[in-house]
Amino acid sequence: MSNNIVENLRKEIEAFKADVQTEKVGHVMEVFDGIAKVSGLSDIKSSEMVTFPSGVMGVALNLEEDAVGVIILGDFSKVKEGDEVKATGKILEIPVSDSILGRAVNAMGAPIDGKGAIKAGKTYPIEKVAPGVVTRQSVDQPVATGIKAIDAIIPVGRGQRELIIGDRQTGKTAIAIDAILNQKGQNMICVYVSIGQKDSKLRKLQARLEDGGAMTYTVIVSAGASEAAAMSYIAPYAGVSIAEYFMDQGKDVLIIYDDLSKHAVAYREISLLLRRPPGREAYPGDVFYLHSRLLERACRRNVKYGGGSITAFPIIETQAGDISAYIPTNVISITDGQIFLETDLFYKGIRPAVNVGSSVSRVGSSAQIKAMKKVAGTLKLDLAQFRELEAFSQFGSDLDESTKKQLERGKRSVEVLKQLQYAPVKTEHQVVTFYALTKGFMDDVPVAKIKEFESGLIEYTERHAKVFYKDIADTKMWTDKGEEQFKKAIAEFKSSFK
Amino acid sequence: MTKISPKNAAEAIYRATKGKLGNDLGLALKRSVQVLQNKRMIGKSGEVLSALQEIIDRKEGIVRMKATTAQRIENIERKKLENEVKEKYKAQSVISEFFEKPELLGGIRVEVGDEVLDATYKNKLRKLEKFLIREI
Repeated sequence: MSNNIVENLRKEIEAFKADVQTEKVGHVMEVFDGIAKVSGLSDIKSSEMVTFPSGVMGVALNLEEDAVGVIILGDFSKVKEGDEVKATGKILEIPVSDSILGRAVNAMGAPIDGKGAIKAGKTYPIEKVAPGVVTRQSVDQPVATGIKAIDAIIPVGRGQRELIIGDRQTGKTAIAIDAILNQKGQNMICVYVSIGQKDSKLRKLQARLEDGGAMTYTVIVSAGASEAAAMSYIAPYAGVSIAEYFMDQGKDVLIIYDDLSKHAVAYREISLLLRRPPGREAYPGDVFYLHSRLLERACRRNVKYGGGSITAFPIIETQAGDISAYIPTNVISITDGQIFLETDLFYKGIRPAVNVGSSVSRVGSSAQIKAMKKVAGTLKLDLAQFRELEAFSQFGSDLDESTKKQLERGKRSVEVLKQLQYAPVKTEHQVVTFYALTKGFMDDVPVAKIKEFESGLIEYTERHAKVFYKDIADTKMWTDKGEEQFKKAIAEFKSSFK
Repeated sequence: MTKISPKNAAEAIYRATKGKLGNDLGLALKRSVQVLQNKRMIGKSGEVLSALQEIIDRKEGIVRMKATTAQRIENIERKKLENEVKEKYKAQSVISEFFEKPELLGGIRVEVGDEVLDATYKNKLRKLEKFLIREI
């Protein structure tokens, strides 16, 4: 046994080659709040990794005339004035491998879930130029989020960037989590990037994903609220690098940035410490580029270039519903649409509190399946008209028959779109519900009983309209035969429903 | 107002004093100090001087080398090392400083500007340690 150890050690030492090369070094001139000013390092590149004697890593961000501004990725209390800093010649990169699935890692790709080391296969640079025009393909495959209001009215396609925006406590993260939970069996890998969130919130979220069996296809990248701003700054880039690793294998990836407001705040902190000139709301001039270069990396690649996609759900927290603030307007203009959540709707009990009027999906409709397009095509318009009529009808009591009908239908639509948290609905079930709603089968069901009717209808039709379900599963659209059977099943169910 | 860096100030002093001798040089230096005082840069005179030294070294092809060994090295080896550095950096002359640090155990560490060639045993052992505890 001991002979074996000695033999192994001998082999290891024999395999070791100590190449002596000249290295570029610098010396720490000053250290403050996670930033080091370093002299020397004459040939350093922007975003190049540097190492400090304590083993702490840093990234060169400011290349000045006679000093280099380095952000310290780790415990900056270990970095002292006069320390020798070595350039590595590499742009900041993180280890990636298939075994990262199901794990929680920090912004440097190191595990934080206490489940041991992650076997690293490769390293990926965290900053990469987004795929070019020739490598891309337009969005035409849906991402089923399992949330009726989104899948029907604001559909999202694979490779799309859809912003989730709203005030605090309006259910932004809940939408993202539901979307992850619904990806089970959908051939999708999920990356959840937590930026500046409380560790307790992250723990709860991880437990929720584990309970839902979603951690097997999910990676959590976390830069907690207690970590340095530099970690929050690099976390989304680390997350998208992990996503790119899977996309390069031709897989579809869903990435959630929770949230980019905190990311912008972390970048503002770093920029001000590096003495970059502040602009609007004290953000630096390149805050737009900060997010645009990140979100441009979400794409759908054509088969010639390996296929795969990255769908991004960035989250932005607004203050008192102000979507015209600097960061919200920036990210709205970068993304392919937004899901706008409203506090008023949330407290009215309309959850998810999606404001259908202000929400939009610019490219997703081409990714929607035919059956869903057919049943939910006019839903957005109907709901908008309902909101207008609802406000108008409060002034007058004498309403004509068609207005009354529209109001009644609207009330039922709102009811149908309500959904409990962590209860994603399958696409075919959504089609069934919206079919019944838009074809008027729910018009005589009392509003209070809509939920009961919906669940009962799904259960009944699953047993008695199998052709309809099979059509949707196979061809994404029903056939005449399937529709006939389905209509019959609805009529039967309605006669038994009280 | 544009910030003047010590490097800018050193470059200006070098140009103002270049090729001057005697009284002219004295006057140019006096004016340089006055400018530093007016620009409130007297506190940074150390940085200005080292930047000036760098400029002069660069213009005159002088390379400064620091060599650290565990034990004293002979004059003949020192000369050899200086010649190597002179050739590598294509310098007119080499100003060298030699230091002894027993904790390096053996080998040599040569520093020229911000370039370091660390061929000490201590560094090799550090690399071996890293290699043996790497994740496989």
